[in-house]
Amino acid sequence: MASVAELKEKHAAATASVNSLRERLRQRREMLLDTDVARYSKAQGRAPVSFQPTDLVCCRTLQGHSGKVYSLDWTPEKNWIVSASQDGRLIVWNALTSQKTHAIKLHCPWVMTCAFAPNGQSVACGGLDSACSIFNLNSQADRDGNMPVSRILTGHKGYVSSCQYVPDQETRLITSSGDQTCVLWDVTTGQRISIFGGEFPSGHTADVQSVSINSSNTNMFVSGSCDATVRLWDIRIASRAVRTYHGHEGDVNSVKFFPDGHRFGTGSEDGTCRLFDMRTGHQLQVYSREPDRNDNELPAVTSIAFSISGRLLFAGYSNGDCYVWDTLLAEVVLNLGNLQNSHDGRISCLGMSSDGSALCTGSWDKNLKIWAFSGHRKIV
Amino acid sequence: MAAAAGATDYSFAAEYDGPPLPYSLPRAIPLDLSRIPLAALSSSPPASPSASSSPLPVVRPLTPSSLCSAIHAHAHAHPAPRSAAPAPAVGGAVVDSPTSVIENHHAAAHHSAELPSSPSDDEGAGDDGGPQALPPKPRHQAAVTFAETSGSLLQSSNYEDGFEDEDGDDAAAGDARPRAAAGQSSGSLSPAHWRGGRSRGCYRCGKGGGFWGRDKESCLACGARYCAGCVLRAMGSMPEGRKCLDCIGRPVAECRRDALGRGSRVLRRLLSAAEVELVMRSERECAANQLRADDVYVNGSKLSPEELVVLQGCQCPPSRLRPGFYWYDKVSGFWGKEGHKPHCIISANLNVGGLLDQKASNGNTGILINGREITKSELQMLKLAGVQCAGKPHFWVNADGTYQEEGQKTVKGKIWDKPIVKLLSPVLSLPTPNKATNQCGEDVHMGNRAIPEYLEQRTIQKLLLVGSGASTILKQAKFLYKNKPFSVDEREDLKLIIQSNIYNYLGILLEGRERFEDEALADRRNSQHDPCSSGRCESGLCDEVTEYSLIPRLKAFSDWILKAMALGNVEDIFPAASREYAPLVEELWKDHAIQATYKRRSELPFLPPAANYFLDKAVDISRTEYELSDMDILYADGITSSDGLVTTEFSFPQMSLGGQGADEPDPQDTLLRYQLIRINNRGLHENCKWLQMFDDVRLVIFCVSASDYDEYYEDANGKIVNKMVESRQLFESIALHPTFEQMDFLLLLTKFDLLEQKINTSPLTSCEWFNDFTPLISRNLLSGNSRSTRGSQTGATLAQMAAHYMAAKFKRLFDSLMGRKLYVSYVNALDQESVRSAIRYSREIIKWEEEKPVFGASDTVYSEEPSSFTH
Repeated sequence: MASVAELKEKHAAATASVNSLRERLRQRREMLLDTDVARYSKAQGRAPVSFQPTDLVCCRTLQGHSGKVYSLDWTPEKNWIVSASQDGRLIVWNALTSQKTHAIKLHCPWVMTCAFAPNGQSVACGGLDSACSIFNLNSQADRDGNMPVSRILTGHKGYVSSCQYVPDQETRLITSSGDQTCVLWDVTTGQRISIFGGEFPSGHTADVQSVSINSSNTNMFVSGSCDATVRLWDIRIASRAVRTYHGHEGDVNSVKFFPDGHRFGTGSEDGTCRLFDMRTGHQLQVYSREPDRNDNELPAVTSIAFSISGRLLFAGYSNGDCYVWDTLLAEVVLNLGNLQNSHDGRISCLGMSSDGSALCTGSWDKNLKIWAFSGHRKIV
Repeated sequence: MAAAAGATDYSFAAEYDGPPLPYSLPRAIPLDLSRIPLAALSSSPPASPSASSSPLPVVRPLTPSSLCSAIHAHAHAHPAPRSAAPAPAVGGAVVDSPTSVIENHHAAAHHSAELPSSPSDDEGAGDDGGPQALPPKPRHQAAVTFAETSGSLLQSSNYEDGFEDEDGDDAAAGDARPRAAAGQSSGSLSPAHWRGGRSRGCYRCGKGGGFWGRDKESCLACGARYCAGCVLRAMGSMPEGRKCLDCIGRPVAECRRDALGRGSRVLRRLLSAAEVELVMRSERECAANQLRADDVYVNGSKLSPEELVVLQGCQCPPSRLRPGFYWYDKVSGFWGKEGHKPHCIISANLNVGGLLDQKASNGNTGILINGREITKSELQMLKLAGVQCAGKPHFWVNADGTYQEEGQKTVKGKIWDKPIVKLLSPVLSLPTPNKATNQCGEDVHMGNRAIPEYLEQRTIQKLLLVGSGASTILKQAKFLYKNKPFSVDEREDLKLIIQSNIYNYLGILLEGRERFEDEALADRRNSQHDPCSSGRCESGLCDEVTEYSLIPRLKAFSDWILKAMALGNVEDIFPAASREYAPLVEELWKDHAIQATYKRRSELPFLPPAANYFLDKAVDISRTEYELSDMDILYADGITSSDGLVTTEFSFPQMSLGGQGADEPDPQDTLLRYQLIRINNRGLHENCKWLQMFDDVRLVIFCVSASDYDEYYEDANGKIVNKMVESRQLFESIALHPTFEQMDFLLLLTKFDLLEQKINTSPLTSCEWFNDFTPLISRNLLSGNSRSTRGSQTGATLAQMAAHYMAAKFKRLFDSLMGRKLYVSYVNALDQESVRSAIRYSREIIKWEEEKPVFGASDTVYSEEPSSFTH
């Protein structure tokens, strides 16, 4: 039996060789990747999207939270939004009337994420209590107006940073957590079906911040982590990540699948958004703002969302900006933060309605705003 | 390039090509600057200013709010906005355009009509009106002031239907004064932006009418009415109930207070029942809609927000509290409007308002109750109750109805004893006590009642607990301040933690046993090679048996535990298996090999100190019927199995403080609730994002175990790290976290008892951070006289000096990092009293910080506490 010192040596050597291989892979990729999306599109003569400042207007302001808004999610069908705020409440909004339909007081006010079930009948939320709580919206509130928790999913050893229902499956939910794992849950039994990462190799090595499930192939999901990588997982294979995507230089705060399901976007603490190809593993494009004159650090990307066609990428930044990127040409089309009625604080979450007609932003200024396209314009 | 494909078009929103809409789409109205009226010279010569009763038209500067009101003013002047024939303007300045939606001349007219009466109508909106604020002194002047504020008040008084005195008939004198004064002193009657009345048309679209304007919803703050089509646009998501977007944050008009939370037909038609209910709930509960403390005067002095909270939060609060002047008899709990007989009996002994005036209820009978001259009807009632009232006696009446004459000790009787009193009191419109009043203050603590949300927000103080041993402090706090510290579920959870930990501890012991066995065997082999003992042939028989050997069955069990530990899934397997393995554990524990290992436990570095406590009762714990004791809970590692964030909320009970004598709690003290939040160290690292969630914390309590200085652990990279150094790093990263930039820190040095135990055997300098620890040690100590560990000069034990030294180290560190003062306290988390005093100390810190601006920043008052130690 090898001694501990020997093993450690071997481990160090193996790590070094992995790193050198990774570096070679990166170089090889760079060599093969002679262009990126923007250059290619320009070569093809694509015209950039242009937006007038009044083309995208804030048409609703959802007021009612008394703390920073941390997360939001749309229902797939109805125009309902669930939002989670530091005031310890989940609020379900009717986006059309901008009224609250449910206000759910949480046991643990430090909530970081919330999600609507595909059928719109229940919402899930998770936070620093390391558990994911499910509320059935049809259940009766008690005398004080508190909604009973219909199920608590416990098992994470760290905060729950993000959760998403598997589309078309009311009973399956994927959470990501500060314990470096993602977990697929069976909501009806409250049991973990599989754990991605953790003890198994090729898992994340730092807090997982975000998950996104591929809507066209619901067996695949990606997770973004503080180890600056994004990993692609197959729900059926928990033992190892299908692929690991390097590229970011800071925590990956947000991942979102591209509408066609073959690509995904990421938003990171390093101030950039990136577009990765799921199958080749290539990084297709970097969306990076120019550093300002004072050469300050770039504000971190907090959340991203794609338009329904994928041509537009919405990215919320920690300084309250919300850029609309042209995904093809990698140009900023509009900054929602400069528009009239924009948020006063950091934009913490973004969500595109399922029909693509409206964007909802949640901010630390306690409000949510719904932005919609206004006016008449011709399709580019 | 894949992404380039299939992007011929994109859509953010599809253009609408459906059937024509039955309703009109809202459009942004372009603001035409040329249409904004400017001041024009008055056409009529300014010959007779005194004679002209109609005020000169004055165009007010265009502010957003005036623009807004202009729109509304327009609307109620014109039921139909695009009417071709504009009505003749009241004043001059005719800039009329039928096409423009904003017709400002009416705004001008509207405002100029208001001008004489409310000269400062814009800035008077939110605050307590500055120069206009009347001192609450114009007592008993009847309705004199009423006329002066006529313009604005008359306008609103039309709608003050809910503001009538319950006493009814004799309202005039007493009622007018508070009304006028409150209207002047603050914006809550909001004549400034009150725009109710006059027109029944919608303020937004101008569509008018409806019978009595019933299908309209009006703003609670300004009274603007909106038709069903406009109400959602004008009021948005109604975070404070039915208020227009501009009025959010403004107080509700008092005349509409009764309408708070009463749903309207319009909303019911527009929204689902759940939505209406939520709007109404936020309307009732949001802070902006609550009664403003500034408007309530009790015994002649304005209430502070805290006093109002006390008043409304007491057992029997005054019903339908409105702005105005009240008197309150602290001793008996009588409550009434100034100049009136008592209106109701509320909880006694509330610390609100000023001193009761003799003339408070405007009585003329000459008889005093608790210093207040009573009214005739009260006298009648007293007579009915059989109280001797001859000679104008002065009475003391207590909350329970017992009364005595002033200056005499004997209780003469109880007013409420005679049933006739209770029967006849309503006839004389005098109050009778609530049943709940009597028991008030005795067995019901303030802390046990549910506090409405808007108060909770204001009164909760959050304390963040971080560091090693933080969970023990939290648990101890639960024991201290909670009637039922741990629920059944929590206990069950803790039980599982302890049970799986016992397997962990056993595993560590078994690992140690293997090592000891190997060592013993090696020793023996050595000794066998030794020629001296070579002749001992019988040792060959039991060659493999040492003191540390296990019998095969137990050996298999032990291997299994060790394997599970190596795989790292002990906690998943063992709680479920504990029933099955309890007998085995017992056998294992009683085995001499384990006992022998246990005796050498000091040689096992990874066995935590708490393991001793639990291993001693390992057999009990591994049984399924094991019941936790409180001590077990304190010793247990963590609080919940997920080990996430844990909180406990408490308030300082009045009793325990009263026992302390010296510092009497003020009333808001019991209202203040404290929330201890324990967060897990494991997830903490530099630029940890979720710490941003704790920006509303008042104090960070950082726990450091004082006994950590010679303890080590192995980090993820296999490096051996001193726990104290690790604590320092954690402390640094938290102190430097941007969220806590302005936060106060309290360092709790815990486990002082362990420090005392080991300081003499293990020097403090074994931690590299403390290598300059040079205590003044007396000769006695140096010469090995261990019985007297007291330093002769300082009078402190070595442990105390070490603790002070550590505190000073942290203080210097904190000062160098933040340039501020670090508070330090010492606790032994297993000792209730020491935790109690630590929590009380943190409360003091919060108070000091609140009072700091009053005393001046660099006051040395603070340095009397244990934190004052400077090295």
